[in-house]
Amino acid sequence: MSDAYAHDQKATLVSGDADYYDRALDVAIAVAALNFLLGLATLVGALGLETTGPALTDLMAGVAVAGVGGVGLVAAFTALNVVAIPSQRVRGLGVGLVAGLALLTTLSTVPSVDLGALLGAVLVLDGLAVGLAGIISRIGVVDTEPNASAGALAGLLFGGVGFVLGVALNGLVLDGVPVVLTGLLVAAALVLLTVLPREDLGSTLPAALIVSLLGIIVVGSVVDAGWTWTPTEPMNGGLTGGVVVSLFVVLGSLLAGWAAAKARARYGARGRQYGSFLVIYLNATLTVIVMISIVTFVAIRGLHYTFHGFTIGALSGLVVLSPVLVAALAYARRPAGAPDWNSGVRQIVRVLPLATVGAVAALLVAVVIRGEPFVHRFTYRIMESRQEQALETAFTVTPELTVGTLIVAIPGSVLFAYFYRKYGSLTGVGRSFDRQSAVQRGLGLAVAAVLTLAVVFLLGGPQPFGLPLGKTIGFGGVVVASVAAAVLAVVAVGGLLAGDGTLAERARRNAQFVKVGLFGGLGVVLAATLLQPTTTTTPSVGGVDLLPAAAAVGAMAGLVVAAVATLARRATGTDDAEQRLMGRLLAEEIRLGLVAATGFVVLIVGHVATTDSPFSVAGLTVSDGGTLSWPMVMFSAIPLGAEPGGILPAVVGTVWIVVGASLFAIPLGVGAAVFLTEYAEQGRFTALVEITTNALWSTPSVVFGLFGAAFLIPRLGDTPSLMAAMITLGFMLLPLVLITSREAIKSVPDEYRNASAALGVNRWETIRSVVLPAAVPGVVTGVILGVGRIAGETAPLILVLGVGDAGQSVDVLGGFQFITEPPFVYNGALLEASKALPKQVWAVIAAGVSGSPSKGWGTALLLLAVVLSFYLVGILTRRYFRRKLDYE
Amino acid sequence: MTNGIQRRIREGLIERFRALVGVVTALANRAGQWLLALPGRMAQMVFTLPARIERTLLTLPGRAWRWLVGAKRVFVGSEPTPGETLVGLSSVVTIVGVGYTFLGPNDLVAYPLAGFIVTVTVGWWTHQARVAKIMTAVATVGTVLTVGFITYFLFRSAWPAFQEHGLALAALPQGPNGRVRWFFGLDAVLPVTGGETAWDPRGGVVSLLPAIWATVIVTIIAGLVAAPLGLLGALFIAEIASESVREIVKPAVEILAGIPSIVYGFIGFQVLNGFVQGAFLDAGASFFIAGTVVGLMALPTVVSVSEDALSSVPASMSDGAIAMGATEWQTMKSISIPAAFSGISAAVILGLGRAIGETMAVAAIMGAGTGFARPLFDVFDQGVTLTSRIATSYGSASSGTIDILFVAGVLLFVIVATISVIAQYIERRMQRKLTGER
Repeated sequence: MSDAYAHDQKATLVSGDADYYDRALDVAIAVAALNFLLGLATLVGALGLETTGPALTDLMAGVAVAGVGGVGLVAAFTALNVVAIPSQRVRGLGVGLVAGLALLTTLSTVPSVDLGALLGAVLVLDGLAVGLAGIISRIGVVDTEPNASAGALAGLLFGGVGFVLGVALNGLVLDGVPVVLTGLLVAAALVLLTVLPREDLGSTLPAALIVSLLGIIVVGSVVDAGWTWTPTEPMNGGLTGGVVVSLFVVLGSLLAGWAAAKARARYGARGRQYGSFLVIYLNATLTVIVMISIVTFVAIRGLHYTFHGFTIGALSGLVVLSPVLVAALAYARRPAGAPDWNSGVRQIVRVLPLATVGAVAALLVAVVIRGEPFVHRFTYRIMESRQEQALETAFTVTPELTVGTLIVAIPGSVLFAYFYRKYGSLTGVGRSFDRQSAVQRGLGLAVAAVLTLAVVFLLGGPQPFGLPLGKTIGFGGVVVASVAAAVLAVVAVGGLLAGDGTLAERARRNAQFVKVGLFGGLGVVLAATLLQPTTTTTPSVGGVDLLPAAAAVGAMAGLVVAAVATLARRATGTDDAEQRLMGRLLAEEIRLGLVAATGFVVLIVGHVATTDSPFSVAGLTVSDGGTLSWPMVMFSAIPLGAEPGGILPAVVGTVWIVVGASLFAIPLGVGAAVFLTEYAEQGRFTALVEITTNALWSTPSVVFGLFGAAFLIPRLGDTPSLMAAMITLGFMLLPLVLITSREAIKSVPDEYRNASAALGVNRWETIRSVVLPAAVPGVVTGVILGVGRIAGETAPLILVLGVGDAGQSVDVLGGFQFITEPPFVYNGALLEASKALPKQVWAVIAAGVSGSPSKGWGTALLLLAVVLSFYLVGILTRRYFRRKLDYE
Repeated sequence: MTNGIQRRIREGLIERFRALVGVVTALANRAGQWLLALPGRMAQMVFTLPARIERTLLTLPGRAWRWLVGAKRVFVGSEPTPGETLVGLSSVVTIVGVGYTFLGPNDLVAYPLAGFIVTVTVGWWTHQARVAKIMTAVATVGTVLTVGFITYFLFRSAWPAFQEHGLALAALPQGPNGRVRWFFGLDAVLPVTGGETAWDPRGGVVSLLPAIWATVIVTIIAGLVAAPLGLLGALFIAEIASESVREIVKPAVEILAGIPSIVYGFIGFQVLNGFVQGAFLDAGASFFIAGTVVGLMALPTVVSVSEDALSSVPASMSDGAIAMGATEWQTMKSISIPAAFSGISAAVILGLGRAIGETMAVAAIMGAGTGFARPLFDVFDQGVTLTSRIATSYGSASSGTIDILFVAGVLLFVIVATISVIAQYIERRMQRKLTGER
C-alpha cells in the first residue's frame, strides 16, 4: 500500500505549477510546529514572554543557529547520498524550518517587539497563509482534490473552539448578554462556515479566522503579560496574561499546523490523513516528553541531596562496572546487519557502550595509579524547618583497593547466574580419564558429607552432645577441603595444557579434567564455606585464611582456563565444519572458566561475610565494611546539622515489604492460575473467578488498606505492623499475578500438551515439564511489573504499616525465634511498625511547611529509581523473551 | 452561467440539509424506540423474577451436589488408591482447620497449618500429581476467598456507621447565607447539616456528600484529559508506529503508569501548586491540578486497553478497506475505531475507575476542604475526595470515625467493582462480535 502512495505522491507533489504553494505551506507547517514548541516553553516558564530587544534577538538567533545547524547537517548528508530522504514533505519541512527561523530572527530585530508579540505575529502570518491557501485552492489556481464538505468532525471541533471563543468574547467585550448565548452563536457560525463550503474553504477559513484573531489579540496587546482577569466574587482563581498568551500560541499553532498540513496534502482523503497524523504524532511525542521530563525533573531535584557525601573506592567501582561490561559486550557482539551503507554506523553504535565502559574503567584505574582521590565538590541549598541553608559536600572516588562484601556479592552472583545459564555441557567431549566416574562420585559424596556435618553443627551447636568435636572436625574438614580445591584447580589448568598438539586440540582432549577440576573445586569450597561458621573455626597459615586462599587459586584457575581457551579459539579458523565445532567447544570451555571464576569470587565473599575476617590477595581486599559510603541510603536518620539525614530504615522496610508480598502472592497466584487453566473445566466458575480477579485488580489501593486494617491487624497483635503491610500488599499483587500467569499459561499452544499426552506423560508431569517452562517468560514479566507497582504503593501503608522508628531499621533476619508453644516460630520484628520509602515522601508532604522538601525529592528519586528499575527489568525481560520466541 | 452556479449551490445546500435532517430523525427514532420498549422490558424483568428465583432454588441441591463431586474429584480423584484417599482427606481436614482457626481462635492456627504442611510434604513424595492438584485448588480457593473476605469485612466494618448515621452520611452543608445548597434537586430530599462544614466528626457532622462530589469533579477532569489523549496514543501505537518507534513509545507509556502515585503527588504539591498560584491567580491546591495529574496517571490504562481493542480488530477488515483504496486514516476512522468502539469505551471506563481510586496524588495536592466547591463547578476550589478522606483522616480518627471511613471504602469498592464488571462485559461482547462466536 505505502509503495503505491509513495509513487502517487511523487507524481502530484513535485509537479511544477504547485511548487510555490507547496513550499509556502511547508514553511507554514514548520513555523507552526516551532511556534508550538516555543509556546510550550513559555507556558512552563522556560522562556519569558517579556524578553525583548537584544536579548530577544540573541535568543532567536540561538534557536535559528541550532535549527539551521541541525537541518544543514542532514541536508549535507542527503546531498552526499549518505542519508536517504525520499519524502518531498520531509525535505520541504526542513527548508520550511530554515525559512521560518530566518523570518523569526528578522522579526526579532524590530525594536520594542517582545517574545509574546513575536509569537503572536507568527500566528497572524500562519493564519493568513492558511486562509490564502484555501482561497487559492477554491478558485482553482492549484490542483486539489477536496471533498464536498470538511465533515462533521471538523465542524464539531471548530464549534467547540467557537463556543469557548464566544464565551471569552462575552467576558471581554459585551456585558449583560447571557454567556451561553454568545458562545452558541459564535459556535453555530463557525460550524456553518466549516460544514457548508467545499472542503478547501471549510477547513482553512475558520482556522485562519481563529488563528489570526488569537494572533491579533496577542500582537495588539489586548492581552499581554501584565494582563489579569478575575471572575466575579464566589469563584476562585483567575487568569494571568502570561498563561493566556502561551495557551493562545500553543492552541493557535496546533490549529494552523493542522489546517496547513491538510492543505499541503491537497485536502480530500490524503489531506485528512496528513492533518490527523500530525496531531497523533504530536500527542505521542508529548507523552514521551512528559515521561522523560518527570523522571529527569525528579532526578535533578533529588540528585544533590541523594549523593551528599557519596564516597566509593576505585575497586568497588570496577566491581560494580563488571556486569555492565558483560552487558555491553553482549550488545557489541550482536551482528550489525547487512553490509550496506549504514552498517558502519550501526557498528559504531554497537561498540559505543563498550567504549564508554572502557573509558570509565580507565578513569577508575587512573585514580588508583595516581593514588589520589578524585573529588567533585558541589554546593546546594536545602530547606529545613523553613530555614534555607547551603550545604557543601563532595562526590569522591578514593584509590582504596578494598571492596565490601555486598558490592561483590550482587554483581558476582548475577554474573555467575548469567554465565551458568549460557554454559551448556561438556559431557562426552574429549577422552575420559581413568576412574573419572569414581572421582566424580567421590567428590559428590565428600561434598554431601561436609554439608551434613554443617547441618549437624548448625542444629546442635559447635559442641553437639557436649562433645568438643566441632573445632577439630571443622578445622580438619576445612584444611582438607582447601587443599583439595587447590589441587583440583591445578588439575584443571594442568590438564588443559598437558599433552601435545595445538592448544585447541589439547583443550578439547582434556575437557573432562577442566570440568571435574573446576566444578569439583566449587562444590568442595562451597561445602567448606558452610562448615566454617557452624563450627566457628577459621584455619589459617601465617595470617592468611586457607579457604579463601584456595578459592582465590580456583578463581585464578578459572580465569586461566578462560584465557587459554580464548587464545586457542582465536587460533582456530571457521573454514570447515570441524573447525566450527572446535570453536563451539572452546566457547563452552571459556564459559566454564568464567562460571568457575565468578563462583569462586562469590564464595570468597561468603567466607568474609560469615567469618567477619577480611581477606586480601595481591593488595586487593574484600572486607565486611567496604569502601562505599552513601549516607542517604546507608545511614539512619541523623539529626540535622552539617549532614542531611539518612533513610536506611525506609529502604530496609520497603525491601522487606516487597519480599513479603511477593512470597505471599506469587505461589498463591501461580497455583490458582494453574488450577483454573489446566485442571478446572472452562465454564461459569472460571469466568466468575476471572471477572472477580479483574475487579479486584482495579480496586483502589486505599480500600485494600482498609481491608488490612479490618481483617489483618486484629489477627496480628492489634497494632499496625510490617507483617500486615506485607500481606495487604500481597493481596494487591495477587490478582495481577493470577491474571498474567493465566494469560501466559493459556498462550502455551495446545500442541505442546497433546504431544506430551501422546507420549503417555500424565497431566501433572505435562504441566511441570512442558506447560510451566513455556509459560515462565510471561509469568516473570507480569510479576516484575506488578512488584514494581507494589513497591511504590503508599495509601495502604498509611493504614497498616504504622509509624516506625526513623533511627533503627527492622531486623527481620535476626528477629526469628523458635519457641515451644504455638505458633512455634515467632518474629518480633515482623510485628513491629516500620518505615517505608513511599511513606517517607508522604511524611514530608504531611509535615506541610515544616517539612524538608529536599529530603522529599531525594527520597522520591530513590523510590523512582527502585520502581523504575523493576519496570526496566520487566520490559527488557519481555523484549528478550519475545525476540527469542520470534527467532524460533 | 451564474444561474447555473447559484442553482448548484442551492441544490448542494438542500442536499446537505436533507442529509442532516435524515441523521437527526434516525437518531431520534432509535432513541424513541428504545425508550418506548423500556417499560415493557422492565415489566418483563419484574414478572419473570419469581420464576427465576424459583428455578435457582430448585436447582440448588443439584448444583451443590455437583460441587461436592467436583471437590471430591480434585482432592481424592475418581478411582483413588488408599494412599491417595488418605492424602486427600488429610489435606481437606487440615486446610479446613487452618481456615477455621485463622478466622476464629487464631492462636491455634499453627497446629492445622503444621498438619497441612506435613501432609503436603509427605504427599509430594508419594502422590505428587494429586498433591499438586490439591495445592493449586487450595490456591484458587484462597484467591476467591480473598474477594469474599474483602467484601465481607468492608461491609461489616461499615455497618455500624450506616446504622448510626443513616442518611446523615449524605447530608448537605448549608451555604454561606444559611440557605440550603442547590444540589441537582436532591437538596429537597437530603437532610441538612447544622452549618457550612460537612466534615467535623467531633461535632457530629459526618457527611460524605462533598467528598463524593469532589471525586466526581476530579474524575471528570481526569477523563477529559485521559480519554482523548489515550485514544490518540492507542491509535499511534496500534496502527501507525513502526516496530522500532513502538519499542520506545509503549515502554514510555508503561513507565508513566509505573511512576508511583506519591511521586506524582509530590511533584504536584511542590511544583504545580506553585505554578497555578502564579498562572491562575489561585490559592494553589485545586481540583484542576489534581484532575490533570490523575488524568495523566489514568492515561496508560486507557492507552493499553484501547490498544488491545484496536489490535484485536481482524486484519481482514482493515485490509478490505485498504483494498478499496482508502487511506490509513480513513481506515482507522471508519473501520478500526467503530469496530473497536466498545473496547475503547471499556478502556475509558477503566481509566475512570483508576481515577476514582487514585489516592495519594489527590491527597498530596489537595490537602483540605470540608465543604463543596463554591460554586459547585469551580475547578479552582479544593476539596477532599473519598480516597483522600480515608488517607488523611485515618491516622487521627476515633473508632466511630473510622467506621465512617469504611463507608467511604465501601462506596469506592462498589463503584469501582461495578465499573470493572461493566467494562469487562463490554469487552467480551466486542470480542464475541468480532470473532463471530456466540
